[in-house]
Formats: sequence, structure tokens, C-alpha cells
Amino acid sequence: MRFVDEFRDADLGQVLAGEILSLVEPGRHYKLMEVCGGHTHSIYKYGVDDLLPANVELVHGPGCPVCVIPMGRVDDGIALAHEPGVIFTCFGDMMRVPGSSGSLLDAKADGADIRMVYSPLDALRIAKQNPDREVVFFAIGFETTAPSTALTLKRARIEGVANFSCMCSHVTIVPPLRALLESPDLRLDGFIGPGHVSTIVGARPFEFIPADYGKPVVISGFEPLDILQGVQMILRQLADGRCEVENQYKRVVPYQGNLRALEVMAEVFELRPHFEWRGLGFISHSGLKISDAYAELDAERRFSVPGVRVADPKACQCGEVLKGVIKPWECKVFGTACTPERPIGTCMVSSEGACAAYYNYGRFAREREVV
Amino acid sequence: MTVVAIDGGRGLALCTNGDGRRFTVETALVEPVAIGDVLLVHAGTAIAPGAPA
Repeated sequence: MRFVDEFRDADLGQVLAGEILSLVEPGRHYKLMEVCGGHTHSIYKYGVDDLLPANVELVHGPGCPVCVIPMGRVDDGIALAHEPGVIFTCFGDMMRVPGSSGSLLDAKADGADIRMVYSPLDALRIAKQNPDREVVFFAIGFETTAPSTALTLKRARIEGVANFSCMCSHVTIVPPLRALLESPDLRLDGFIGPGHVSTIVGARPFEFIPADYGKPVVISGFEPLDILQGVQMILRQLADGRCEVENQYKRVVPYQGNLRALEVMAEVFELRPHFEWRGLGFISHSGLKISDAYAELDAERRFSVPGVRVADPKACQCGEVLKGVIKPWECKVFGTACTPERPIGTCMVSSEGACAAYYNYGRFAREREVV
Repeated sequence: MTVVAIDGGRGLALCTNGDGRRFTVETALVEPVAIGDVLLVHAGTAIAPGAPA
């Protein structure tokens, strides 16, 4: 298949739905986690879960990069943005994530020079256009985004852009998955593996899931047929008594990943001993920081960053949503106090957040069911 | 995104998305690229070749 439309073919979707139905055992409940926020978005947007049997449940994982940023990290960003002479740059979604006393968007309204960018390269361009100002890029995201930041830092050094630095909040996907698998709260039967993260890291980092925990993983693409086929492949493994890492997204994901990206990440970043995840707490070796070799481009060394720790609001249940323990609509404030216009939790901010995806696409179907 | 021009000296390409909007894209991770190539782009960096149009 060559065009996106072909991956959204309704007739083929029905065929896959029929195959899925033929693979499930009546009376058994299957709980599959889609790791990536992009999958969550597609599942709700295209109504993929409506095509699944009632005993196949999809739960949402911790793979939305905006959703996992803790409030304290937002507060740190706001503090940096208020430093004299600083232009603070970040992705659009990040501007709306609530900190303890407002978001970056609120700080911008209060006078801080905060600018939305589409890429770290945009931030570097702003730095070159404003040599008398300090430009800080708030880097977030999983292994998909980290190479982009790493390449930009290398470019900044090569081009001698001395007024550019980065506040690195990149995270890695494997440690939270291991934490989830160790959690007594959650019983999972398999994983829809993250497609674009795997483009970078490949399939090998997920081999511990079948090896250590006996659960199948199928790395899947983001179109509806990709996800349905991913579910079908997981259920096929379960029916056959197999558990292994399979790659449904071969058109983009090589088994070994992108070696150039891994190389540049290893050069520019190193693992933090631990990093705080929103709702999940501190997870060992789950965050990246800028390596000593690139210390001069590290905003956390260039400026005094408060290192704020803030507890999540009591009303917000993003942590449980990110762990797949509850569904978005089971959160106490979903759709009432917390909406995409006025989010309390991060999961309601990003389009990849489970709450925002469900609010935008899924709630009407559920309302129909309730009526 | 589809590559419409290449700045090989700087490792950049001008790419267009499905809406016809143009973006500067870092190509270091997928080189060599050619005009007309379709790339999977994330945060301004091409991370893989061959995403569907």
C-alpha cells in the first residue's frame, strides 16, 4: 500500500475485525496496552475500539510526551522564561500544560518572552536572529524527538551559536514499561508497541517484555488498519501460545532502529539517575540530560533552575490514566472541571493525551451508549 | 513529507507536507535523500524514509 487512504479502508477493517473475533476465546478478557499517545489518538479518532469484540479492551499507556512532564518541570521552565533577556521556546502543546501556578501561556501573558516552535531548529534560528538574547529550548519527548534536539545542539556548536541552550526533559520509553509491568495494579495481556519510538530504537529494547514477563509485543503503525492488524497479531500470538516481539510497522521501523540517531543521542545525552514522571513518580534511568561534552549548551548549567517538586492536584487522576488503571471518563474531573480549553491534567492538553483524544472523539459515542 | 529541494552542504532539505506547507527538515539521519523522496519527519528531523503519502 502506498497512500494513507489505503490504510483507512473500511472493508479491510471489517475483514481484520472478523479475524480478531475468530481469535478470541469466549469468556476470556484481553487487556492490551497501546503504549504510544499517537495510537490512542488514532483509536479514538477512527473508532478502532468499536470494531473490537467486547472482551478485547485497549488501555492507554505512558507514551504521550507532554502528558508525562511533571508540574515541577513546568515551573522550572516558567522560572527560566522569567530570567532577564531570555527567549524561552517550546512546542505548542507544552505551553498549555499547567504548572503549580499557571502555564507557560499564562507566563507569556504576564510578559515573559515565550515563543512556540515546531522544531529545535526553529529555536536555533531564533537564537541566530537574536544574538543579544539568550534563547532556551524546552526539549521534551521520547526517543523520537531526542535525536532532533541532539542534532540541533551539534549544529549550534558547529555554527558557534553561543546564545542557545536547551532545558532537556527528554525521556525514554523502556523504564516506564518495566515499571508498569512490575505494578500490581495492572494485568496486561500484550502491548501495541510504539511505532515512531521504534523507528529510532528498533525492536530489540522491547525483547525483555516477552523474555521476562511473557507478554507479546507488536510494534504497530498509526493508521486504523495498522492498529487493527497489531491487535490481530497480538491475539494470534496468544492463540498460538507464543510471545515475542513482532513488527507490524516494517514500512518504517527497521529491527535495529536508526543507528545514526542512536549514535548522535549517545554523543549528546546521558541517562539521568532518575527522572520524575507525572503521575508515575521517579523512575530510574528514565530521563536524558545533556552530556558533559555538551555542557555549555545545557540551560540547567547555564542558569539557576529551581528544581521544583510539586505534587499533582488531588482532583487530577492523570497518573492512573497514564498507567491504564482507569479510563479517561472515570476521572473525577473529566469533561467538567478539566476540558481541553481549561485542562487540569496533562492528559487533557496534548492531542495525544488519552483524555483529550477521548474528549474530542469518544465521548459522544459513550453518551449514546449511556442514553 | 516530500523533498522539494536539498541543501546538501548544511544537511537540510526543504519539504512539503500534504497541505502544501513547506518546512526546513534536518536530513542527517536518513541521508542520502533525493528530490521527490518521501520522509517521515518528527520535530523538524527526518527519522525514516518511506512514510505513505
